[in-house]
Amino acid sequence: MSLSEVKENREALVSEVSGDTRFMSRITSIGLTPGCRVRVVKNDKNRPLLVYTRDTMIALNRNECKGILVEEVRA
Amino acid sequence: MSGATIALLGQPNSGKSTLFNALTGLRQHVGNWPGKTVEKKEGSFVRDGKEFKVADLPGSYSLSANSDEEVITRDFIASGKADVVCILADSSQLQRSLFMLADYAGINVPSFLLLNMADVAQDQGKKIDASAIEKKLGIPVVPFSATDAKSYDSFYKTLERAISKDSRIDVEELAKQYESVKGYREICDLIPDNVIDGYSSMWLAVKVIENDAVVLAKLKNALSAGEYAKIEEARKNTKGAVATGNCKFKWIDELLDGAVKTNDKQVTLGRLDRIFLNKIWGKPAVILTVLFGLIASFIPALPFMGVGEAVLALKAPVMSGLTAINCPEFIVLIIGDVIIQSFSYIFKMLGFVFGVTLVFGLLEEVGVMARISYVFDNTMGKLGLQGKSVMPFLVSFGCTMGGAAGARVIDNWGQKVLTIALAWAVPCGAAWATIPMLSSIFFGPGAVLVIAVILITMLLHMWVTAKIFGRKLVKKEDRYGMIMELPPYHKPKWGALFRYVLGRTKETFIRVTKVILLVCGIFWLLSYSPSGNGGILYNIGVAIEPVTKFFGLPWQLFLSYVASAVGKEGAIGVISALYSGGAYGTAFTQAMSGAANTSNLGSLLLANVTKPEALAFIFAMTFNMPCVVALAATYQETHSAKWTGRIVLYYTVVSLILAFLAYHIGLLIW
Repeated sequence: MSLSEVKENREALVSEVSGDTRFMSRITSIGLTPGCRVRVVKNDKNRPLLVYTRDTMIALNRNECKGILVEEVRA
Repeated sequence: MSGATIALLGQPNSGKSTLFNALTGLRQHVGNWPGKTVEKKEGSFVRDGKEFKVADLPGSYSLSANSDEEVITRDFIASGKADVVCILADSSQLQRSLFMLADYAGINVPSFLLLNMADVAQDQGKKIDASAIEKKLGIPVVPFSATDAKSYDSFYKTLERAISKDSRIDVEELAKQYESVKGYREICDLIPDNVIDGYSSMWLAVKVIENDAVVLAKLKNALSAGEYAKIEEARKNTKGAVATGNCKFKWIDELLDGAVKTNDKQVTLGRLDRIFLNKIWGKPAVILTVLFGLIASFIPALPFMGVGEAVLALKAPVMSGLTAINCPEFIVLIIGDVIIQSFSYIFKMLGFVFGVTLVFGLLEEVGVMARISYVFDNTMGKLGLQGKSVMPFLVSFGCTMGGAAGARVIDNWGQKVLTIALAWAVPCGAAWATIPMLSSIFFGPGAVLVIAVILITMLLHMWVTAKIFGRKLVKKEDRYGMIMELPPYHKPKWGALFRYVLGRTKETFIRVTKVILLVCGIFWLLSYSPSGNGGILYNIGVAIEPVTKFFGLPWQLFLSYVASAVGKEGAIGVISALYSGGAYGTAFTQAMSGAANTSNLGSLLLANVTKPEALAFIFAMTFNMPCVVALAATYQETHSAKWTGRIVLYYTVVSLILAFLAYHIGLLIW
């Protein structure tokens, strides 16, 4: 599933990141790489997605999330 | 004696600017990189009799080829212009913020690592063993907290240690990580040592895998076609930035292994964030914050305003004094109406610059600005701007100059210029004082409708301007959604903040004085006539009245429109003087120094101006260039005479088009 489909306060493992060179380098440099565990902190329509990973709160534009596939971690 | 040149390298929110301001204080200069639209910040400090130069390199999350900022940064370092690189990381988010260090490793310049925000990390219960990291890394590592005076001592000591030891990052472990990447060994072997100055083969090979356009182009140049084709071939089979990024993070994990202790407390949104980031309350909360900030910024501005008024109060006694000692009238007028008048403007403007820079700087520093970006990302993204751009727009309702000065929080030059260009369309406080007054004289209760139409026009104007200017300023490939860290709230570093604000105010003073004196001088000269009646502008205005009438502006209104480009406050004064038979030259200067309007302004206007003309004038005046001071601030922030000129020209043309439309629609109605 796409990262933006994960509900608030759920955790997920990033399984695949894909996009153009520019996107890949930006998403990697902020710490979202395959295998890393993220928690979705906020997921409001028309607002960037808010996720927490590697000790960092990250705001992600919804369009940019399309290239990030995750597997939800069952609590 | 001259010391070394230090380059500061760090991700956004790593505290780079705070360190730069704390180190250099008033000894800094902001310009553009030659031929580039990227801001260049340089400064210096003296320590033990040696002068150290500091280059604050543009903030970015990595050293890829995706933006001018990043390419400038890495080329600056690799070219050897810096003797030592200070790499900043955020101690509270060490794992992620060390990515810059990992991306830097392989550039052959001495460096040291600064673990900033040590205080924040400590508050979060994190314990970091800097010496353990230093041992693995091979370069000096220093914990740092900008608020702690002792930190600076260890900073200077570490700096000297890095220079004297010529310390370079030990990349052995990192190289081992890369060996596991498919295609890495092959590409690395194809790249000879020192093929591009300053970069190691390892670094270049990694950038090749990451499909780095700039590195690929350089290699193509440096190598034979056959060799390059082999590299290109090998690159196609790699997994790109995903693979190398993983290596970098694995290396960081090993680096931190055993050196960092944390308590695994789950981080949740604080009370403030639950309001700012709320779907419904976020926008009102941001707008209220900015408005309060704007009001608060008037407090530090007041002393400057007082000085401005005091300077203006000197005008009359100085002028009569000079006349008394038989000074030629022309010189008296230049001293009074141009020089003293201009300095009065300049001091008032500095008050605004000081206040707005302080408040915006504070919001940025404590982390509120990032929340503003988050809340308005979608809305502003439609205009090609960052969420932050909403702040200059809001400030411009009060004062366009404040808006332009506030635009400096936008870190991308193109977006900054576009923000200022759009902020000009927002009618300022002086326009808002004039619009209702004129509208109610001519249209009675219909004034409400006029104001509504002005607001709608403003939005349309901004949208159209964004389309026209945006194409060049913010290229399509630069328009991407936000991928940004939301930093934890920080306590402000007052000392560094004040030094920064004072530095910027000083620099603004030096730069804008020229512009304001020049423009005010030109306007005055055009308005001046020895007999008191006439003057170049007056003669032109009367001569071209047949043309301006086409736009709904008789010569009196046209000259008042011209005056409104200097300052909107003066527009009504000029109308009032001209229709009561005053001479233009005197009317202009008196209105600019705040002379009172005639008491029977209403009946005077109704007797001389038709409704469509009034409507045309309201639009022309409102959407004209805001004022000389806004012009100067725009030049100061954009560092570009070309773009400032374009914006002025554009606004002059558009305001006349709007006047034309308003006039002809008015003719249809009345």
